[in-house]
Amino acid sequence: MADTPIIKAIGLTKVYGNLPALSDANLTVMPGEVRALIGSNGAGKSTLIKILTGAVSPTLGRVQLNGETAPLGDPSEMIRRGVACIYQHSNLAPAMSVLDNMFLGRQRAYRFGLLDRRRQRKEALALLEKHAIDLDLDATVANLPTVKQKEVEIMKALALDARAILMDEPTGWLAASEVAKLHATIRALKGRGVGIVYISHMLDEIFAVCDTMTIMRDGKVIAESAVADIDRPRVVALMVGEKLARESAQATHQKRQPRGTGEVRLSAKNLTKRGVFRDISFDLHAGEIFCITGLIGSKRTELIRTFFGSDRFDSGTLEVEGKSVAFRGPTQAIAHGIGFVPEDRHREGLMLDMSMTENLAMATLNRFHRAGLISLRKMVEAGKRSIANLSIQPPDGKRPVRLLSGGNQQKVLVGKWLNLGPRIIILDEPTVGVDVGAKAEIYAILRAERDRGAAVLVVSSDLEEVMTVADRIGVMAAGRLKAVHDADKTGMDEIVREIGGDA
Amino acid sequence: MTEDNKLPATDRRDFLKTIMLGSAALGGAATGLMGKINVATGDIGVSQARAADARVKMAFVQFAPHTVSTAWSAGIAEVLATQQIVDYQALDGQGKLEVQVSLMDQLISDGTQVIFLQPVDSVGVAPSIAKAKRAGISVITLNIDATEPHAAHVEMNHYFGAMDIAKAMGDAMGGKGEVAILNAPPGIIIRDQRTNGFVDGLKMHHPDIKVVADQVADWDRKKAQDVLTTILAANPNLGGVYGVNDSMAMGAMDVAKEKGLKLVIFGNDGEKAALEAIEAGDMTGTQYTDVFQQGRLAAAVATVIATGMVPAGAFGAQGHLLMPYVIATKDTVGSIQPSQRW
Amino acid sequence: MNIRPATFALIVFFAAILAFFCIFAPRFATPSTFENLMAGFSFVAILAIGQSFPILTRGIDLSIGAIVAVVGMVTFDLSLIFHLPGYIILPIALLVGTLAGAINGLLIVYLRLQPFIATLATLATYRGLVYAISGRQLVPGLSTTPISDKWITGLENYYDVGGWLGLSKLIGMPWFPLSFFVMLGLFALFQIILLGTRFGRDVHTVGGNFEAARLAGINTGRIIIAAYAISGFCAGVAALLLVARLTTSTEALGFGMELTAIAAAVIGGVSLAGGVGSVFGPALGAFFLGVVLLGLTQMGISQYVQQIITGAILLAAVGYDRLLVLRRQRRVTANISQVAADG
Repeated sequence: MADTPIIKAIGLTKVYGNLPALSDANLTVMPGEVRALIGSNGAGKSTLIKILTGAVSPTLGRVQLNGETAPLGDPSEMIRRGVACIYQHSNLAPAMSVLDNMFLGRQRAYRFGLLDRRRQRKEALALLEKHAIDLDLDATVANLPTVKQKEVEIMKALALDARAILMDEPTGWLAASEVAKLHATIRALKGRGVGIVYISHMLDEIFAVCDTMTIMRDGKVIAESAVADIDRPRVVALMVGEKLARESAQATHQKRQPRGTGEVRLSAKNLTKRGVFRDISFDLHAGEIFCITGLIGSKRTELIRTFFGSDRFDSGTLEVEGKSVAFRGPTQAIAHGIGFVPEDRHREGLMLDMSMTENLAMATLNRFHRAGLISLRKMVEAGKRSIANLSIQPPDGKRPVRLLSGGNQQKVLVGKWLNLGPRIIILDEPTVGVDVGAKAEIYAILRAERDRGAAVLVVSSDLEEVMTVADRIGVMAAGRLKAVHDADKTGMDEIVREIGGDA
Repeated sequence: MTEDNKLPATDRRDFLKTIMLGSAALGGAATGLMGKINVATGDIGVSQARAADARVKMAFVQFAPHTVSTAWSAGIAEVLATQQIVDYQALDGQGKLEVQVSLMDQLISDGTQVIFLQPVDSVGVAPSIAKAKRAGISVITLNIDATEPHAAHVEMNHYFGAMDIAKAMGDAMGGKGEVAILNAPPGIIIRDQRTNGFVDGLKMHHPDIKVVADQVADWDRKKAQDVLTTILAANPNLGGVYGVNDSMAMGAMDVAKEKGLKLVIFGNDGEKAALEAIEAGDMTGTQYTDVFQQGRLAAAVATVIATGMVPAGAFGAQGHLLMPYVIATKDTVGSIQPSQRW
Repeated sequence: MNIRPATFALIVFFAAILAFFCIFAPRFATPSTFENLMAGFSFVAILAIGQSFPILTRGIDLSIGAIVAVVGMVTFDLSLIFHLPGYIILPIALLVGTLAGAINGLLIVYLRLQPFIATLATLATYRGLVYAISGRQLVPGLSTTPISDKWITGLENYYDVGGWLGLSKLIGMPWFPLSFFVMLGLFALFQIILLGTRFGRDVHTVGGNFEAARLAGINTGRIIIAAYAISGFCAGVAALLLVARLTTSTEALGFGMELTAIAAAVIGGVSLAGGVGSVFGPALGAFFLGVVLLGLTQMGISQYVQQIITGAILLAAVGYDRLLVLRRQRRVTANISQVAADG
């Protein structure tokens, strides 16, 4: 039976609205195989995982588990057939005990639904012993350290007798020593014939623990290979695409302008928010693109939200053009010439059912006022100019933003702030869910802003993006700014090492 | 269904007969009682022997604070204050039956001797009244009677008052036309008494006047405006409106003013605002009762009962005290003194 | 079994407030006060027990007061218009309550409505329904006729438990109303369901982390519908006890009771953030409110002041709940910083 794949996904396709998130993807996992699933953000990994856990039904395609075609879109069915998943974000019920969490949703019970707690406890203890993991079964999950919570999640998967475990960025919250421990557990599982899908941005980890890899880009599986048969540059090239890889290679030869004109626009000194980030100090200059990178959970977003007044910091100073500020809300930040393009454009940035013109004018409505009324004509003209400048497709100002592609939505969002002519523009993950072509265009827009003399601050976890557009690069890990490099004097390997916190 | 309808109707007739008899006997007694209190306040009340060792608790469980309830309470407090040893409190029933029942329970266990009660529902308070009686506590209901017999019931004379309203209204309308009733919610005996009095009064004095609508407006002015607007849409020839209390009548008055209609509008109770509206000519008339006096009368009854010299049983199965009233119209309203207005 | 801090705090407060009134309110420490407490607040406790289920799933049920009125009116109609015997009326009435609750659940699950909005809508709908089916309006004579069916009025009954146990000789004992025993029975039933069955665990999971529950294969829709059905069932039981107590039903029955029940549940430590709580707290919370109201009335404190005090207690309970939630979150962030420091 060793020849029957545990998971065999065939031709999976998922379309959201008119945007394909996944097209014709295949994935096979054999017993005892650790398969890496890699790709940049928006490549379709999470959609694929969601289909395999039953959280989402595919538009097309089917999945065979242990040779049998499984019904899709039903989480309990997938669990029954032995597929478990450890998610990037915790999926535990924080107020409940460890024991309850291990058996979440499938408590062992007598007749009439009465719980068989003794049997649960016996099974749980046996599992803990088997995997040499030390957990207090009666502790409340919320009171455990994060590392222990991750262990609970793994135990939860193991308690299922899972034949396949999907791990989505399992090391995102873990320190280096804990990562090693997790990898040891993975090897033990592999030895007992469990198939594992390992999703990570950390190439080090993939080369350390995985046997095979599936590389995705733009919703498609573009390569499969044994880990032993491939090297890192090739993986990176496949991940980001030949064209972008070439462009990025060229971009490295482009003229970088660390510290731009030398004029300091924004300066942070020992900025601290208790329990979130601490001692952040750096200067942002006019005429440069400063990229902050790091893992999810390294508190990059939380940091820049304080620059825009969405959140407060506890101590330290923030200076904008030499004046010390503590914004109490975005309005004050805007008044100081700061524009902010948030990460979650659907929730925080755009009014999806309003037209492009309206969205573009949202931050600058004051300009179209005449005696308290808004001049529609002026607004439409300004909209037309923006649409042309940003080459938004299709160039129809009346079209609701919902109907645009992700890349064009992002351009509208960026355009909305550029209309303000901000002296400082902050972007959080500006190209998530944006196709390759639009990415290049957004990079061009950012460079144009820089050359206009604006100070540009970009937060991105997409390393290729960082290497492509940055003049300077700051690396954040676990709430601290670990290092700042001039982009022309560093390489991707150095950044990757620092991101992982191994350095 | 017709069978069902008939039975309670005859019951009601009998019931009303006892009220008439009771009023003949007790109306006089009550007036005498009042006179005595007014002349020599301290004489009637709690005997000195009891006064020495204990204070007497009395409480008023209101429907909800409202002009009528507040005026009653003022009348009650005025008399009880003279008794020196009576602790009196007014409690808010919040318009909820559950709240009144819970307050009754508390008063019963609290050693209260007399409970004044304005029931939210005539049936719903019956078990509480029974419980109070078992505990030897006298209950005096105000205006709204309960289905459980109790010490005394002091009312504005709903049935005969409504008959007289019907007569006055018919006279004002010239003996013919269509009228509508803005009524109280069901479950309250006063609703039946006033409606029956009005209908019987029309039959007796003005058989040509037709009641074309009888709708619930929850005692409320705003609600009455909405209800009457709807009624008018269906009955454009409407000549008169009887509001079972003044608030609803004034709601009708608002609608008539707004639409510029000439309607004969009668209310019931006689609160200050209604009397002013009658003087201004906006409202035709109302049945006026001196509510302060009604409260004083109830308090007098309570004091007499509390002395123990006149047992509750002396009032018969249940004392029905009917207040004298005046049909106040533009001609007669001037005779109501400012001190009698509430 | 370990007692959660919120429950512990409530027990301490309850004991303290009892002691306070026994000392400072005249005649508070008498059997009849406790009889009133049990008779007047057992149905509030039952409503609060029911209300805990929607709140545990991170929802809320604003319609229970209206369900009380619907069930009350159904009982009224069946008894006085259709002259059905009580043993047939009781199960029908409970079924109506359960269904009314289940409809809330269905709206929330299948129309994806916010619980607040869904139950606000059904609150209005059920209230309207009460007027439409009101036998008091349809048959005028009935409004002054009491319900006399022994099966229904029998629910309002008192037992001399102290006398049976011989305790009355030692200490004055209140007579226990049947409603109190009904409340105890429901409390025991739902406490076992909540703590001892898979369904109970699933209710906690759905409220504690909906996404985790869904991904763990829990049929979240069914759990939510069941939670609201339980809430409706409890409202039905409370309605029957009320009708027995009043021997009639009114259109306004149960008006505003949802807020008292929610207050009792929150005071009882059921977190509005979902997933935390039992039914012990809400039941105790209802009696806590009862003690405060009875005690203050006996001390002669005005009812408006009483409302302010009740509001303040609720605010304190909500604030305490919020504090616990925040502390939980802060601990998580602190843990992360710890990891960072280790790294």
